[in-house]
Amino acid sequence: MAQVVIMPKQGQSVESCIVSEFKKKVGDSVKVGDILFGYETDKATFEEESQVEGTVLAIFYKDGDEIPVLQNVMVIGQPGESFAEFAPAGVQERSDSSSAVSHPLDPTTPQSGAVPPLSVPRVAAASEETSSPSAPVNAVPGAPASPRARKLAEEKSVNLDAVAGSGPHGRIIARDVEAAAAAQGKLSGLAKAKMAEGGLVAGEGSGLAGTVKGGDLKTWKANHTDIAGEGEEFEVVKMSNMRKLIAKSMYNSLQNSAQLTHMLGADARRIQALRKKAKKALEEGRIDANITINDFVCFAVIKALQKFPNINSHCLGDAMRIFKTVNLGCAVDTERGLMVPVIKNADELNIIGLSKELKKAADACKKGSFNPDLLASEAGSFTVSNLGGYGVEWFTPIINVPQSAILGVGTIVARPKDLGAGVYAFVPYLGLSLTYDHRAIDGGEATRFLKQVATEIETLEVEF
Amino acid sequence: MPKSLYIDPEVTLRPQEHEIKFPKIPVMQYKKTVKEELKEGNFSKEDLLHIYRDMFTIREFETMLNLVKTTGGYNGVEYNNPGPAHLSAGQEAAAVGMAYNLDTDDFIFGSHRSHGEILAKGLRSIQILPEKELKKIMEEFWGGATLEVAKKGYKGKDTKELGIRFLIYGAIAEIFARTTGFNKGLGGSMHTFFTPFGIYPNNAIVGGSGSIAVGAALYKKVNRKKGIVVANLGDGAMARGPVLEGMTFASMDQFHTLWEGDMKGGLPVLINVMDNQYAMGGQTKGETMGYTFPARLGAGFNPEAWHAERVNGYDPLAVIDAFRRKKALLEKKEGPALLDVVTYRYSGHSPSDQSSYRTKEEIAAWEAEDCIVAFGKKLIEAGVATQKDLDAIQAKMKEIIFEMYKLAIDPELSPRMDLVKENELLGDMMFSNGSVDSFGDAKPDVLMPLEENPRVKQIAGKSRFYLDKDGKPVSSMKMYNFRDGVFEAVVDRFYKDSSLVAYGEENREWGGAFAVYRGLTEALPYHRLFNSPIAEAAIIGTAIGYAMCGGRVIPEIMYCDFLGCCGDEIFNQLPKWQAMSGNILKMPVVVRVSVGSKYGAQHSQDWTSLCTHIPGLKVVFPVTPYDAKGLMNSALQGTDPVIFFESQRLYGIGEQFHEGGVPEGYYEIPFGEPDVKREGKDVTFLTIGATLYRALKAADELKEKYGMEAEVIDARTLVPFNYEKVIESVKKTGRIIIAGDASARGSFLNDLAANIADLCFDYLDAAPVVLGSRNWITPCHELEEAFFPQPSWFLDVINEKMVPLPGYVPTGNFTSAQQILRAKKGV
Repeated sequence: MAQVVIMPKQGQSVESCIVSEFKKKVGDSVKVGDILFGYETDKATFEEESQVEGTVLAIFYKDGDEIPVLQNVMVIGQPGESFAEFAPAGVQERSDSSSAVSHPLDPTTPQSGAVPPLSVPRVAAASEETSSPSAPVNAVPGAPASPRARKLAEEKSVNLDAVAGSGPHGRIIARDVEAAAAAQGKLSGLAKAKMAEGGLVAGEGSGLAGTVKGGDLKTWKANHTDIAGEGEEFEVVKMSNMRKLIAKSMYNSLQNSAQLTHMLGADARRIQALRKKAKKALEEGRIDANITINDFVCFAVIKALQKFPNINSHCLGDAMRIFKTVNLGCAVDTERGLMVPVIKNADELNIIGLSKELKKAADACKKGSFNPDLLASEAGSFTVSNLGGYGVEWFTPIINVPQSAILGVGTIVARPKDLGAGVYAFVPYLGLSLTYDHRAIDGGEATRFLKQVATEIETLEVEF
Repeated sequence: MPKSLYIDPEVTLRPQEHEIKFPKIPVMQYKKTVKEELKEGNFSKEDLLHIYRDMFTIREFETMLNLVKTTGGYNGVEYNNPGPAHLSAGQEAAAVGMAYNLDTDDFIFGSHRSHGEILAKGLRSIQILPEKELKKIMEEFWGGATLEVAKKGYKGKDTKELGIRFLIYGAIAEIFARTTGFNKGLGGSMHTFFTPFGIYPNNAIVGGSGSIAVGAALYKKVNRKKGIVVANLGDGAMARGPVLEGMTFASMDQFHTLWEGDMKGGLPVLINVMDNQYAMGGQTKGETMGYTFPARLGAGFNPEAWHAERVNGYDPLAVIDAFRRKKALLEKKEGPALLDVVTYRYSGHSPSDQSSYRTKEEIAAWEAEDCIVAFGKKLIEAGVATQKDLDAIQAKMKEIIFEMYKLAIDPELSPRMDLVKENELLGDMMFSNGSVDSFGDAKPDVLMPLEENPRVKQIAGKSRFYLDKDGKPVSSMKMYNFRDGVFEAVVDRFYKDSSLVAYGEENREWGGAFAVYRGLTEALPYHRLFNSPIAEAAIIGTAIGYAMCGGRVIPEIMYCDFLGCCGDEIFNQLPKWQAMSGNILKMPVVVRVSVGSKYGAQHSQDWTSLCTHIPGLKVVFPVTPYDAKGLMNSALQGTDPVIFFESQRLYGIGEQFHEGGVPEGYYEIPFGEPDVKREGKDVTFLTIGATLYRALKAADELKEKYGMEAEVIDARTLVPFNYEKVIESVKKTGRIIIAGDASARGSFLNDLAANIADLCFDYLDAAPVVLGSRNWITPCHELEEAFFPQPSWFLDVINEKMVPLPGYVPTGNFTSAQQILRAKKGV
């Protein structure tokens, strides 16, 4: 019997995923464990492995399609088996091909001659799908929208430019907005209010039951769908989904907060000593984690944050969200771009636990398998971004809004230090760059916090 | 087609039946002098002086209006009257002679040129009414508002003189559109009437009174009311359909052959032709007509030639003589009658008419015979009065008219309605919205107790829901159907309201062409239910006259298409009189109109839209037995004109919606409330008429194949219409198709669509879509599916204009390009 492959649900708040590439096409034979297709959410990519052996009978979507989770994607079975009944309502079965014999295995299609693509018979049963949209393929900015869709978009804070119309002649109709609203999750009051001002779209909901909060909002700018002048001088490369998201959230951050950066050096002798000790302990098998300089810095930051709760916060424009725990975000550079996995309740971890969690998160991000819910900026209460490994001394990190601040950690450079009594010596210094949202925090408090971080680094006590 | 009248070939095919004789028509037979009349005691000196006074009053009144129109003032007091003034100077003897023998139980109807007749009848009524009665009429009229102004500055104690001031003031105020006018200023010059004096509407449509007056006579006869009815028409009006059809109706043999007891005999109606020689600029004799004299027309209608006479309308006594004889004849039930009163119109059709079609010599020659001057001379010759006496009468009347003129143009004393400030004032006058059990005060004439009626017994054995107790369909013979619903409401009212009559083309033995009235023949005498001639203008026109006088009536138009035959009555008369009378008149007329199908281009049109376009009509179109009975009950309880549409497709249909079936007892369904026949959430179908059932089929298919649920709403009433339920539905569904069988272009469907688009704009997921019939002739039955909206059309437009249906293959072309193309072609 033919087996149907569905789009897996990755994370609580994920409503749909985009197929990055189908690795198999209709007619290919498939073994258990073969990669069928790659797909991505806003924050992560995944690969779907085949659970069965057989031949690909049908693929209902094409590369780049956004597919609601749990929706049928493809059918694998024995040649000759029927598959039409698995077609999602409103979706035509895809076969990739310009080949004349586009459905070599379709039992209803003659084996020779040019045959037009077969439209999948509609699902006969009265199903909800018919009144819910087929997957919007491409949003066209400025597409016509019905008044009801517009009203609904306003009520549900959906940006119509980002919605693909499924109505006649590409019109955005109510169901498209409903689907978009469902996909973006519930909106918090603040998020609604902010979106009403325009220019923002909801990101992945980070609140309860996927509620989109103010901080999940992202600035939307219409994509260029047509760039003139492509030729020898340059080539036009479309941004990846991930890239677009990063672009939106970075732009959003700078547009919607009052950021400035203070820089301060911390004497790194203490943590260098600790690092040495930790390395030895690892080698001797006393501990099972490779505690890095960055881990120590993060540990120090957590301690400082506990003393400065205002910094461990979200700025909501007209209110503050002061966290009782430290949900620490840690920027990770991956092939797909910047990711900021969050370690929930990081303040409850000892240095070994923290080190392990940070390592695990970074690895998962690089593999693209980190829980998307914990990649949302609202998930974190403070972020640390470390560029020390690249030799950067100072930089101006961009806040992961709605967080109130971010700490940039630079490389360690030897600097002269007055050791007292006219004695100067070169001492290793760690560059600390604190970007904070001046709407939330004044310069004095920010400076005191930054100093506290330095002090914690310089006097860190850890046990292992 | 009564069986009692045997059409015998032995007679019909033999020569004696072929011999047609015409009676001799008397012409100018009055020859008496004033002295002879005095000697015979037919008039007192005072009577003769009143005749003179009344004629002069009319002349001065018309002179005043002519001066206002042509010089912008009267006696040096400026006034601008932008409205019409069709003056009757020259016709005074005809008017006064007409009115002399009439009392307030006798009704006159008029034309656009009726100031003279109104004043003559009014002055005569004032003369003959007991003072107390006259006073009461004046004091009660508009709560005394008109009298209040008319008596300003009047120091005398003479009720009759006050009456004259009241009459002249009320008429001028009406002509000048003042709220103190006889019809609150809503009628104007061409509709200046005063029913307490028996002055019924004059009419701006030439010949309009021709059928209405006949209906008034029918009212008098059926309801046993005193008095005769006079229709004052011009010689030009004798060309008009309503006049000829009205005369046909009044000539019906059945009044003598079939109507029984005290109902036997002719209608008390007199067509009085004010034969002033001109119809606009056309001369009826020698140019635009062929009758030579209007008196000839009577010969075409019945063997008595309508007792027609041609009378010298320049001698008031000749006209009085003729009217005395005709009135007696009508009272003996030997009517109808026709008078051709020869007169002459000095003024043009209106003050803008330069009389380019006649010579000055002609006018001068008639002026030389002027009826007032001539009558004055006769009075002097007979010793009734001196020139001084006549001059005194003239001075007195001039004085009164001038005073009343000044009062009528005073904006404080005689204000106009402020329709800008009080925006809804006139709107609230369009319908009377009354609830009246019975317009008659007598016990209804019926032939048997209702429960013994064979139809009533038959219905008692029927299932009042389309399914039986076990949920199985009831056989059509045992199923209570649409025609039963209409019948129950109608028969109920016949037993409640003695004034109710019903007629149309075949209403009696057949029970109507569609058997709705089967059983009524057994229940009702002829005078309450009868077959009319094939004369739609008369069917509706007489109904209007009947209702105007205070009766309730159900005229029937057998096919909707025939509305065209009574266009004037439906569009110009029926809807207008309630508001135009300042709400003095009520119009309880329920016009039953059957909407056909199967019968091609001239028998299958849905013209509901035409009726909705006309302000003043209520328009209903029930399509279920429950709605038919409830809405017919409301129509028959009301006081407004209702066009009650019935679909020929549905006469046999059972009740499928109302739980428990159609109630046996009396109930009303209020007008204006659309009814949700099926609930749904994805799209709304709002239907007019029989399209409901096709919409339901479409809803079934939509659900079965595409999982979409349609909410189906039956408009039921078109005017009035409450949008609230529809708005609620559209808020839910976001989509609406408005469908009906009328040709789409210019139909009420578009009106609904426009209003819904307006009222529901933010809730719409697609523009409202109109599904009407094609803008073609209705093809033959076999081809009708291409013409009337079909279930597949609903799916087509949903797919094309609202939400693409997966895998749907359209049957029709509803693309925008096609829409534009069709409009370009005008189809």
